[in-house]
Amino acid sequence: MTSEFVMSVTTGPIPRQVAGVPFASWAFGIRVWIAVVVALYAGFWLELESPLSAAITVGILAVPTRGQALEKAGFRFFGTMIGVVASIALIGSLSQARDLFLLAFAAWVGLCVYVAALSDGFRAYGAVLSGYTVALVAIQMIDTPDHVFDFGMQRGAAIALGIAAIAIVNDLLVAPNRHLELAAQLAALHRRVRDQAKAAIRGEATDPTATAGLLRETAALRSEITSLVTESSSGPTRSAAARSTAVALVAQIHAVRVLKALPVDVDLAIRDRMTSALEEAGDERPPTDQMTASLDWAFRELLRRDQDVREGLAALRSGARPARPWRTPFYFCHRLAAEAGVRAAIWLALASTFFVLAGWSAAEASLVQLTAFIGLGAISPNPRAFTVGALIAAPIAAILAGVLDFLILDGVTEFPLLALALAPFMIGAAVLTTLPNQVLAGIGRLNLIFILVVAGLSNPQTYNPEVFLDSALFVCLAPALLLAAQFLIPPVSDERRRQQLMASARREIDQLSFGQAERYAPEEAMFRDAVRIGQIAGAGAPGPQHRVVLDEALTLFDQAAMIRLCDASLRGLTEGLLARLADQARRALGRRHVQSIRRAASDIQEAAPEDALARAASGALQVASLVMERKGP
Amino acid sequence: MTHPFRELVVGGVLVAPFVTYAVAALVMFLILRPILRLSGFVKLFSHPSIAELSVYVTILGLLTVLF
Repeated sequence: MTSEFVMSVTTGPIPRQVAGVPFASWAFGIRVWIAVVVALYAGFWLELESPLSAAITVGILAVPTRGQALEKAGFRFFGTMIGVVASIALIGSLSQARDLFLLAFAAWVGLCVYVAALSDGFRAYGAVLSGYTVALVAIQMIDTPDHVFDFGMQRGAAIALGIAAIAIVNDLLVAPNRHLELAAQLAALHRRVRDQAKAAIRGEATDPTATAGLLRETAALRSEITSLVTESSSGPTRSAAARSTAVALVAQIHAVRVLKALPVDVDLAIRDRMTSALEEAGDERPPTDQMTASLDWAFRELLRRDQDVREGLAALRSGARPARPWRTPFYFCHRLAAEAGVRAAIWLALASTFFVLAGWSAAEASLVQLTAFIGLGAISPNPRAFTVGALIAAPIAAILAGVLDFLILDGVTEFPLLALALAPFMIGAAVLTTLPNQVLAGIGRLNLIFILVVAGLSNPQTYNPEVFLDSALFVCLAPALLLAAQFLIPPVSDERRRQQLMASARREIDQLSFGQAERYAPEEAMFRDAVRIGQIAGAGAPGPQHRVVLDEALTLFDQAAMIRLCDASLRGLTEGLLARLADQARRALGRRHVQSIRRAASDIQEAAPEDALARAASGALQVASLVMERKGP
Repeated sequence: MTHPFRELVVGGVLVAPFVTYAVAALVMFLILRPILRLSGFVKLFSHPSIAELSVYVTILGLLTVLF
């Protein structure tokens, strides 16, 4: 969420604060602490081999809302299962050949990073988790291959326990639901889109970066919308409503862009009536009789999309099923995903070689951490920045864990004292994760996990300084080594990402197919394009060059969406002459030839002046020709 | 009043009876979810999440007592 967006939703009451932090964040921190303590206690009581894994699971599933925690839990569980199966396969086939084993392990992690790059949100997390679970299970068990199944079962049990702990604590302490805030976010985006629409009616120019920002923010809500499913029994319908709203919002942004592309040659009074028709939301009849056919079509389209968004928002708030159940397809680039996967495999192979040459007996702990950083970095926007964050967070966590182990606990064996001692660390780290400052939030998120890892809580606690120093050293060594590998083989650069994404956008518009049942509805395809624009906007710092790229991306978005809308409306013309003219129009659209499209529009209009479908198709084609004609803002 | 619990054996791995009950209760709860939504169950409570957790615990308890 950008600061610009935060500013735009400050219309509600200011949340209650304690010590400068919202009350909700403190409540979240306390929930995380209680869940960690419950998970540890249950783990000790059940005499699990690794009760710490249950507590770490809670730390990993520490997200502020219930639905997100449950969705992440599901992916964590299934990711672990896949990882354990892969571990058994790797250990079973290659445990006697160390180098081959490490090579196969690097390839598996590369494959998981590739799969993660094909999706977003917690699905991507599940994919990378199945990669580094192999490190946790197979690498740690490399000297005792016959125990790998037991170890995998123990880890599964610990994770299930952690999931149960956080789920029950979230339920009993009434963790907030996401759908109310999501509805507020979508409504705020809707307000901004309407402001742009009014600016377009007044004939004012708008910044392409602002439009790209709107598309990016809308597309970024995709994974949170998916999390609504697990929130409550009304979750699936609310999720469907939120999906439809987001898709309608993207379609409305497109309608605004189209309106901007047209020459609005009407007088001020008509402009005012257009604005009030948009504000009154359908109560006032739009002044269409004084507009050109193309302006009439574009303005009706804008009103229709506005209506769709309002209906979607109402359905989301009431928990009703939306009128149009649209999907929100995700755009991914196979080539970029493959490049990320190959790099991940190479980094891991380099680090493994280093550890093999170093010959440390406890090095596997560091290799496990390093694999986890590779995986988690792959699902963050910038892998190298993530590694730097980890390099900063690791020593802080090591010091804090040392304070916890040797200054606060210092030989204590009673569980209540451990629970109390954990409170400031867990609550503090969890509150940090909710701060708007991304660096501090990242450090908080990593600390929540690292403190538990380094403190090495077990029953009975050994308080062995040597073990502590070893694990602290390896936790700090892992990000340092990964950073060295990432300087040697840098991650996919922003420039390269931008080039690839733009190339795919250009390729797709040239290869649009016509007249047949498409995989996605035109609106769904617009959403997919919006995801890509979000990725392009995220690749690279703002600047004049970035602006030019965004402008081209938006132009391609306008054209592709308009071609799909025209194709959909041409599909209504199935009889005789009109069908032939529709075919001609499709060919003209395929070539993106302005004059031919315009000619096809007037031919269709003349062939059936009274036919409503033909009039709509002709209007769409005229607008399409104007959109194609437009060069830049 | 106790009754013998049968362990589930999957490919030679013994699964604790409680785990079987917990998973069976989860499956039944997931099947019940659409019915709960249609019957307006969620709207009856100020804290639906606690109500849903209670339904799950009730199913789990009944399974443990009856089977």
